[in-house]
Amino acid sequence: MLGMEQVDHYDLLEIPRNATMADIERAYRLSQQTYGEGSLALYSIFESGEAAAIQERLDEAYKILSDPESRAVYDEDQPLPDAPASLRPWVDARSQEVSPAASPNEVATSSPDDDVEPYDAFEDEGGGDFDGIRLRRARLFRGYEIDEIADVTKVSRTHLRNIEDENFVDLPADVYVRGFVAAYATAIGLDPKIVVPSYMARVQESRSGNQRGRFLGRA
Amino acid sequence: MRKANETVTTASTDPTIPPHRPAPANGGARLLAVGSGKGGVGKTFVTANLATALARLGKRVVVVDVDLDAANLHTFLGVPSPRRSLAEFVSEREEDLGKLLVDTPLPNLKLIGATHGNLADAQPSHLRRVRLVRGLRQLDADFVILDLGAGAHASVLDYFLVSDDGILVLQPEPTSVENAYSFLRAAFYRRMRLAMVGHGVRRLVTLAMDQRNERGIRTPLDLLREIEATDSAEAKRFVETMRVFRPKLIVNGARTAEDVKLGFAVRSVCKKYFGIDAEYLGYVNYDEEARRSVSRRRPIVDSNSDADVSIYLQRIARKLIGLPTTGTGATADRVSAPIGRGSLGSALQRTSSSRPGDIGC
Repeated sequence: MLGMEQVDHYDLLEIPRNATMADIERAYRLSQQTYGEGSLALYSIFESGEAAAIQERLDEAYKILSDPESRAVYDEDQPLPDAPASLRPWVDARSQEVSPAASPNEVATSSPDDDVEPYDAFEDEGGGDFDGIRLRRARLFRGYEIDEIADVTKVSRTHLRNIEDENFVDLPADVYVRGFVAAYATAIGLDPKIVVPSYMARVQESRSGNQRGRFLGRA
Repeated sequence: MRKANETVTTASTDPTIPPHRPAPANGGARLLAVGSGKGGVGKTFVTANLATALARLGKRVVVVDVDLDAANLHTFLGVPSPRRSLAEFVSEREEDLGKLLVDTPLPNLKLIGATHGNLADAQPSHLRRVRLVRGLRQLDADFVILDLGAGAHASVLDYFLVSDDGILVLQPEPTSVENAYSFLRAAFYRRMRLAMVGHGVRRLVTLAMDQRNERGIRTPLDLLREIEATDSAEAKRFVETMRVFRPKLIVNGARTAEDVKLGFAVRSVCKKYFGIDAEYLGYVNYDEEARRSVSRRRPIVDSNSDADVSIYLQRIARKLIGLPTTGTGATADRVSAPIGRGSLGSALQRTSSSRPGDIGC
């Protein structure tokens, strides 16, 4: 597709230039789903060849940006996102906000959600407890499989599933569960200081009430 | 969102299409247009409920059924088929839109309905549309929300383009996505053609509207390159117009995490294909209760404000007016404000038995 070759890696992944590794990972995961085969969002817009070309570029961008060394080299070679911005339609509004040269006409929208990564605006609404389904939902939204969490945390898949399914009776003693949940939360990018007390309160409530295997309404 | 000091340097010669104009700084209603490209995706349901949610937030809201061919907004709001309607304005029997306002069961919410007047002139003329938009902005209200007809007719596109916020409702289905894109494509090119000054460049835009044009211009970004090659001032204007064209998206009928992500994916595709920043306003989960609310002829946001579907709709309304979306809780440390469990979690629960593969873990 024309135009693509001019886009830099950051704009391609739709992340700001100061994106963290987690941002890059997440953007890449999302882009893989968006431009992957059978993606509904491509329907009637990009033909499969074009989507494949975009994916190739995304892979390349990810390869470079996910490696600190190659990213540093890449950053050095890149011109600063400055004056020609008016002719760079690809430049993401968010990345412009960090650019001192951003035009004053580039008015950010007033939504309080705007400076939050788009995912965040939706995935964790609801408030209240961090229960199993909420953890699972957070994991799925971030695109992690159970196996990946198990690899990172060294907690067994069975325990992880039991945490998500709230099979409290099959989980070991609280002290272990506490550690598992903390590791799980950290792995998917949630704050364990918030998640653990919330989840453990459910564990204790359930254990005292002896409610086996309750899954929030799941049949 | 309201773009307070946005400056637009387009040179539209068509009075109907001021560039996505900023909302009036003081006084004057903010105009929202809700379109869908395709019928049956819940556009009117979303419109009626967003209007209700805004009214419940204390805003004075007028909803206008500009879908003259298939008007039924009044039914969603529980208003009997209004005797006076937009048809009277269209046929020039009434000039004062204020006289066409009909009360709804909600105190802050009024309706201009659209029952058929004279079928022969169901669609207002160009001049009439200009007057209509002007009149609507002068209504004594905070928000005027237009329920657009399905499809991508010029009249529908014009309402979408003149509004302060053009909202596109889509469902997670190929047909809806396809029509949403054709709607955006049509709106985009219409907007661009009007923004261009030179005849040559206008012709180029017109050419690009034909997907099989001989110049091989397939995407808006291809078109930009062609324009850049011929006239840099026009290219600059093109890019500036692109920047202020910020349609907003709502995914209706979300059942799975994948469905929710569709909004982000479409947003990304909009960026890569059109070069525009669409905004994902939010999603509304699939809910049988919503369907029942339509049968009961009462917006679910009003009849059951704690239902999941209502919570999503209210979040979108709050987002539209720049209020914090209660309990947004993006990160764990921001989830302390408790609201009812209206999260996708419960939507997933409900559907997990029927479509387990979609959310498999």
